[in-house]
Amino acid sequence: MTPMLFGPASRQLFGLFHAPEREGKLAVLICMPLGQEAVRGHRLFRVLADRLARAGVAVLRFDYHGSGDSPGEDTDGDLEGWRRDVCTAHEELRRRTGARRIIWLGARLGATLAVMAAKSGRCDPARLILWDPIVDGARYLETLRAGHVDALERSFCVPDPAWRRQLARDPDAFTQEIFGFGVSPLMRDQLRALAPATLQLTALHETVVLADAEDHAAQQWAAQETARHMPVRTSAFAHPLIWTSDPHPNNAMVPTEALQRLLAAIHE
Amino acid sequence: MSDYKETPVQFGPDGSLIGIITTPAEGPLAPVACLMLNMGANHRIGPRRINVKLAREMAGRGISCIRMDLAGLGDSGPASGSEHFLTQAVLDLQAAMNLIQTMLGVRRFIVIGLCSGATNGLSLAVADPRVVGLLMFDGYAFPGRRAQLERQFRRALAAPTNPAVIGKTARWLQRKFSAKAAAAAAPHIFEPDPPEVTAAVFRRSMTQVAERNVAVLLFYTGTMHVTDRKRDQLGPFAKEAFTQRFEYRFIGEIDHSLTSMESQRIFMEVVCDWALRVVQGAGVTSTPHAAAATRSGGQLASGRPAVALQRDPVL
Repeated sequence: MTPMLFGPASRQLFGLFHAPEREGKLAVLICMPLGQEAVRGHRLFRVLADRLARAGVAVLRFDYHGSGDSPGEDTDGDLEGWRRDVCTAHEELRRRTGARRIIWLGARLGATLAVMAAKSGRCDPARLILWDPIVDGARYLETLRAGHVDALERSFCVPDPAWRRQLARDPDAFTQEIFGFGVSPLMRDQLRALAPATLQLTALHETVVLADAEDHAAQQWAAQETARHMPVRTSAFAHPLIWTSDPHPNNAMVPTEALQRLLAAIHE
Repeated sequence: MSDYKETPVQFGPDGSLIGIITTPAEGPLAPVACLMLNMGANHRIGPRRINVKLAREMAGRGISCIRMDLAGLGDSGPASGSEHFLTQAVLDLQAAMNLIQTMLGVRRFIVIGLCSGATNGLSLAVADPRVVGLLMFDGYAFPGRRAQLERQFRRALAAPTNPAVIGKTARWLQRKFSAKAAAAAAPHIFEPDPPEVTAAVFRRSMTQVAERNVAVLLFYTGTMHVTDRKRDQLGPFAKEAFTQRFEYRFIGEIDHSLTSMESQRIFMEVVCDWALRVVQGAGVTSTPHAAAATRSGGQLASGRPAVALQRDPVL
């Protein structure tokens, strides 16, 4: 595994390249979730990348601008910039792996960004694997800000009852600091504008959607894209990972079922 | 242009430790560098990315930092030997110090340990004389009977008008009477030491650290309690001679995980203020030190003087 900074000098990204340990034809670009979900998923994707590298798959994990170890403040992040970051990372992986087929594995908002980046036509993923994609940004934002208040309440010895009242009263409350990660007004607006109708696949590559059968938004979006004759398959996938929970040794940081399902989806 | 420069590094005996070194973008370096490590199972960026934010803030004030994953955590590889995990943490942190010494020529260090990181930081401070400062954030706590009763009383008082407290009480009862719930919420990977063993380790280690004149800040939050009267989190140690040498802060408005941006701002202000005082107190009057202080104008972002009296603010 090689830690590095890559990309243009004006917008460098931190990444970790897992060199394949034997011959193969595949490479995987992991499009991480954002904010607390990235922290929660970090260990799982690291273990997944190790397994893939051992099986002969090259892997690049990276942090979007303004997230993780990449340069930039929390509030520098926005969907458009992050979409470009996916393409920058794809180019880096292409540069390192030559002719290998590159699969994108995106989780949560990372899956959404993968769809947006693939649609831009600037890069050429062979296949998209979308795990619990966010297709309804407004609903996602609501869930996150409610989760933020829940996290505050759990963390303080005696929580302030005003937080919950503020949450109910003001639709913008806590949208600028979700789970302690700064969110710019631009990013907030972009999230609210993100809707299934605005998120379209292309016919240039196959897409696999892994989502809980109860995730109606993702299921309906996939059905809508199928109706548009896009090459997309949906696969019901339930797992115990709570995306916004804190990483904790006792709450299945690397759920086996998730690891195996993702490995299977990549190798199929 | 940013105030910092960052360099990803791989280090340790077999190159399996991963970290990021943050240095000031220009000008000389402070003669003391800062080590940041994992809090619990979080990877090196820390909860809410606080280690990244703090490292860049510190670099803006001339202090270089490394944020790293200990063996087996985050992106670092597993330990190759079979050392006890505390011993391994010390070895990993010493490898980071050796790296900084080689790369930057800095030979003295501050350790910032959040939660479980405080235990690792204390072990390092005991083992290695290069450590001149130790910050323990919601680390060891020994609240006495009065503090515990007051905590329970305040929660009971809040319950009728505060649904969140009812939820917390319900979860507490669940943990109390369900072994499964208790195990799921347990903060320890392994069986924790009995309280008397933890207290004995704390006394012995802190005495050694005090004798070496290591600057220590014991920093506690509103997760631990609502208020603090007389260094309550130190309980029976509050009046011991060795703890009198240490700084103690309790800030009830911030929480253990630094969930709000305001918590992060306050945390960074307190830590930067303390770190700058440790740098200045390290007894180095060379150009790098002076330059580091000059670059920040001797002031923190809040406008408070970088050199302040030790104090025990109780909120």
